[in-house]
Amino acid sequence: MDLWDPTLPIYLQLRARVVHHILSGTLAEGQAVPSVRQVAADEKINPITISKAYQMLVDEGLLEKRRGLGMFVSVGAKERALQDEREIFLTREWPKVLARIQNLGLDPAQLIKGAK
Amino acid sequence: MSVISARGLHKAYGSVRALDGLDLEVERGRIVGLIGPNGSGKTTALKAMLGLTGLDRGDLSVLGSDPVASRGELMARVAYIADTGILPKWMRVRDLLDYVGAVHPRFDREVAEAQLDATQIDPHKKVRVLSKGMHVQLHLAIVLAIGAELLVLDEPTLGLDIIYRQQFYEGVLNGYFNETRSILVTTHEVREIEHVLTDVVFLHHGQALLSLPMAAIADTFVKLTYSDDIRLPAQPLSTKRTLSGIESIFRGLPREVLAELGVVSTPNLAELFVAIVEQGHA
Repeated sequence: MDLWDPTLPIYLQLRARVVHHILSGTLAEGQAVPSVRQVAADEKINPITISKAYQMLVDEGLLEKRRGLGMFVSVGAKERALQDEREIFLTREWPKVLARIQNLGLDPAQLIKGAK
Repeated sequence: MSVISARGLHKAYGSVRALDGLDLEVERGRIVGLIGPNGSGKTTALKAMLGLTGLDRGDLSVLGSDPVASRGELMARVAYIADTGILPKWMRVRDLLDYVGAVHPRFDREVAEAQLDATQIDPHKKVRVLSKGMHVQLHLAIVLAIGAELLVLDEPTLGLDIIYRQQFYEGVLNGYFNETRSILVTTHEVREIEHVLTDVVFLHHGQALLSLPMAAIADTFVKLTYSDDIRLPAQPLSTKRTLSGIESIFRGLPREVLAELGVVSTPNLAELFVAIVEQGHA
């Protein structure tokens, strides 16, 4: 029943889901995201948690509030999200991957060649 | 103004102290879970809030009034669903809607009928022949049509199958709850409502052992999972050995300190309850 990772707050996991959908194109720019109430009912989580995730996405410029209409994916959100995710990969994930590659005695150039 | 404000509630049945100094606060727009084992005083607390029982001592105000003295007036603004079906079994569904419409000043029949249209409930049937799940659906439809400011739920999904249980909370979150309304809920199915709650109160021997917004739990409690017997930086609330390793729950220790020793996570409410109640016994 529990689909949430206990090591991370749920609002961060919700935020990550929305970012994932923006990147994959499931949520297109200009498209409405499901209402707080809808997500609350679907996921059985309290609306405050969802509002917190949405507010964070608004602050990051990925979503925008349209008065009386709800939340929408901002124009340029995909590019912005992509830049953020690249930044996260390069600064946090890649150094770890590189260290692992070196620990295993593999040649990064060979690996990249093989992946192409 | 708080929707429910309780200070030092005491209530004894003979030598049994059902409420022994209970403090409780429910604000508008919150979903508060009252979690406790059988005999912890949950039902007495709810009864007191609904004005169904008096108190020996303490200050209790519900929507600004004394629930016993203003019971009639409060019933127009408070709704209650319990695990025992309390709708009159001898009435037909249709007649029940007529009845509620006649006695309740705020009843909006169209809302109730729209809710019932989404169910399998036949309005010509008597309440008696409805399944337990349908009985709860009917009750929820009436509650939504009343638009109560406070909804009190006492084990609302007890005995329901998984589909009805999911539908129940879906209905509550989609049809009832908003920032002007409040819910006080008790249940043994803690996992089911864990993420629905905005606040939690652990009740034990008629007292609140813990009272916290859910958002503050991660800042207050940490679960550390580690493999070998290491020297712990502080006395944990509880420790247990599981397949994934040794799990200890700490109160008030920074995550960064513990992260060096193993995997840190936030304990769920069931784990936390056991940890806090066990510590209370220690």
